[in-house]
Amino acid sequence: MFLRNFWYVAATDQEVQAKPFGRTIMNEPIVFFRMPDGTPVALEDRCPHRRLPLSMGKLVGDALQCGYHGLRFDKTGQCVRVPGQDLIPPSARVKSYPVVERYKWLWIWMGDPALADPDKITDFHWFDDPNWGAKSAYLHVEANWQLVVDNLLDLTHLAFVHETTIGNMALVEHAAVKVQRGPNNVLVTRWTIDQPAPPTFVKVGGFTTNVDRWQIIDYAPPAFLRLDVGATPTGTGAPEGKRVGGISMRNLNAITPETETTTHYFWGQAHDFEPGNRQMTERVFEQIQAAFYEDVAIFQAQQRMISLDPDSPTVDINADSGGIQARRIVDRLYAEEQAALAQRAAAE
Amino acid sequence: MAETSWHRVAASVDVREGEAIAVNVGDLQIALCRVGGTIHAFENICPHAYALLSDGFVEDNEIECPLHAARFEITTGRCLAPPADRDLVTYAVKVEEDEVFVAVPS
Repeated sequence: MFLRNFWYVAATDQEVQAKPFGRTIMNEPIVFFRMPDGTPVALEDRCPHRRLPLSMGKLVGDALQCGYHGLRFDKTGQCVRVPGQDLIPPSARVKSYPVVERYKWLWIWMGDPALADPDKITDFHWFDDPNWGAKSAYLHVEANWQLVVDNLLDLTHLAFVHETTIGNMALVEHAAVKVQRGPNNVLVTRWTIDQPAPPTFVKVGGFTTNVDRWQIIDYAPPAFLRLDVGATPTGTGAPEGKRVGGISMRNLNAITPETETTTHYFWGQAHDFEPGNRQMTERVFEQIQAAFYEDVAIFQAQQRMISLDPDSPTVDINADSGGIQARRIVDRLYAEEQAALAQRAAAE
Repeated sequence: MAETSWHRVAASVDVREGEAIAVNVGDLQIALCRVGGTIHAFENICPHAYALLSDGFVEDNEIECPLHAARFEITTGRCLAPPADRDLVTYAVKVEEDEVFVAVPS
């Protein structure tokens, strides 16, 4: 199940160069490249002549040339040259996709191009903001995209999957959790008061006393999760909104389906302490990255079990509330998109 | 009618409109919820699948289970939506000197 009428992160800005590269998104093969003037372009990655991926071709001037028989396509996807003949068949064209560069990522619109409003791009300004140090990365995950969403909305797993970095048992046994929901949003707020700081927080925050720790998970569909996380020495007023003497970070996640069972996972970590210190950014990133590799191993193992028997029964526990609310939003939006498509098909 | 006894379970000020809180009387798990100024008490475990209703969503006089969206009327315990298939057990409530008491079978 995919939602079409949304902006998704397709690539990092560094991945998009003059040399074309191919990436499948929601089962659609797409080729990305940059024009000589720097403009990013996304086209269907399949030559309409003999279906070779155009990402095996090369850029010639402003046109992408197929690596098989040399047909050339402009940035709109229209064929502009067929070697050896003057006539260009009108059907010689590939689909083009709206793209926007923002927050050091390339965003793609997978739905109706008429609805592709860049104002709808989810805010990830922390990657551009001088008040924050930040680094992002890409992971390929052999698992369905919603398993990643579930993971980020239930942070009790930190105590079991990430006990050497960002987790400890205090998160499970002593957290006050509140789930709030809007029509297109889920907010899970977790407070762990007067408990030991987890290993990563001790390393980057230098805590020597117990801490008040917050994890505020903001979900926006289809699959954007922005986590406001941090800790301050206990009793200094963080629950009342006074964050002093501690650390504050943003864990930022943009999840893009590749297929039903594979996912492009763009994530990053931002920190508000020593924002200009590149070494600190690296140190924070490496700690969190270790945890993310642990998560990927979990997703892929889950997917293997799901693929063996998709109908095997599951049980929900209290901590699943946030993830279940998110899935309910996705289900509703999917039904709305399908209904709109059916209505349009009926009108045509 | 079975015998009941009153138990102090909360301070009145801690029971707010728009949310439910969990309290225990012995092994009995009870949710408290304030609607239109009045506090109501009902069993806190959803009869469908063991979720805590106090983690759920309160809208006006309804509470929705946090997991599978069963809904109940707070003032009466009446089941309004599946997958739950029975009403909630409710408990009498009284407030004395800003303390909340519920009556449970002795």
